[in-house]
Amino acid sequence: MTPPIPAMNPASGGTPINMVTPEAAPLPSARIEMPEELGQPLSTTATAPSSNSFASMLGQMVSDVNTQQNVSAQAVGALQSGQNIPLHQAVIAMEEANVSFQLMVEVRNRLMDAYQEIMRMQI
Amino acid sequence: MIEALFNQPNYLAAKKTLDAVVLRQEAIANNIANLETPGYKRVDLATSFESELERACASGNSEELKSLNPSLAVDSTATAGSLDGNTVHLQNELMEMSQNAVANSFETQLVSGMLQRMQMAITGKD
Amino acid sequence: MIQTLIGVQNTAAALSAEQTRLDVISENIANANTTHGLDGKPYQRQVVVFESALQQAMTADGGLQMPALQVARIEKDDSPPIKIYDPGNPDADPSGMVSMPNININEEMADMISASRTYEANLAVVKNARTMAMEALSIGKH
Repeated sequence: MTPPIPAMNPASGGTPINMVTPEAAPLPSARIEMPEELGQPLSTTATAPSSNSFASMLGQMVSDVNTQQNVSAQAVGALQSGQNIPLHQAVIAMEEANVSFQLMVEVRNRLMDAYQEIMRMQI
Repeated sequence: MIEALFNQPNYLAAKKTLDAVVLRQEAIANNIANLETPGYKRVDLATSFESELERACASGNSEELKSLNPSLAVDSTATAGSLDGNTVHLQNELMEMSQNAVANSFETQLVSGMLQRMQMAITGKD
Repeated sequence: MIQTLIGVQNTAAALSAEQTRLDVISENIANANTTHGLDGKPYQRQVVVFESALQQAMTADGGLQMPALQVARIEKDDSPPIKIYDPGNPDADPSGMVSMPNININEEMADMISASRTYEANLAVVKNARTMAMEALSIGKH
């Protein structure tokens, strides 16, 4: 379901101005909602899975990054299709996806280094 | 972990204020576009939203900040400048636009700086 | 297409409407002395009538609907031509009176200044929107 594209023809009149509320359905001038507002909870470290294992934490981080990338792709897609998304929200979504991806890459690098360090140890 | 990164009250407050500033630009643009429309009443950020924003920033509560919703409303304090009831005064609008442009620069730099610092903390590089 | 400039949809309408108004005023001023047009009558002053497309109202979803300025029609001013005594003029009637167009230059100039001012203000809005968009694009970059 895509919101109607606001017409550029001046004669067709004004356009509604609105910032969407988190609970409301997408509106003609809907803004992009971040995943927290879309009702998909990202678990914080305080409410980590009960197993609390490193693997589950990593898994959680990967899925968080994935969600962030999806939001970013959604924002850019909406902007390109001409919906009434504020430019800054799309740019910020892209940057946040970037940062979270970098975080994941860094964690992976450290893990690889630590793993190789351990493997190098003489028994 | 990722969510905590972007859940800082300062960061959320900066983003919401930026949203508000951009919305205000829309309001001012429409006011000036309707400078000569008979009976047009100028619009601005809803005063209820402004006080909500102040309170949320002061409280530093992430949930409160995330639930903020900038909105526009007809400015009830504006007085009519002409016989047809149009309440837009060009000089005022131009001045508001200047101030809003500076606010936009400031908030943009704020958000940008926070994101850059996050990147620097993660990668150790600029 | 991508909507990058925030809030300038109605600005385009205003610019277009004011442009029309300026064109009409220019035509009035240019024809201030036209005593004899194609139809044999003196030039009649033209007036632009504005209207707004859509009313300013709250929409169902709580947003605000904004009017957009547009030209409703261009009317001819029905006020009578100004009569001047000038027997030497080829268009003079038997009593020596010439019908001049019903144009007051001072009024037209004042109108033109007002239309220009509105036009410039709307241009400033577009320029500002562009600056803000460029700043938004540089978020996160060094």
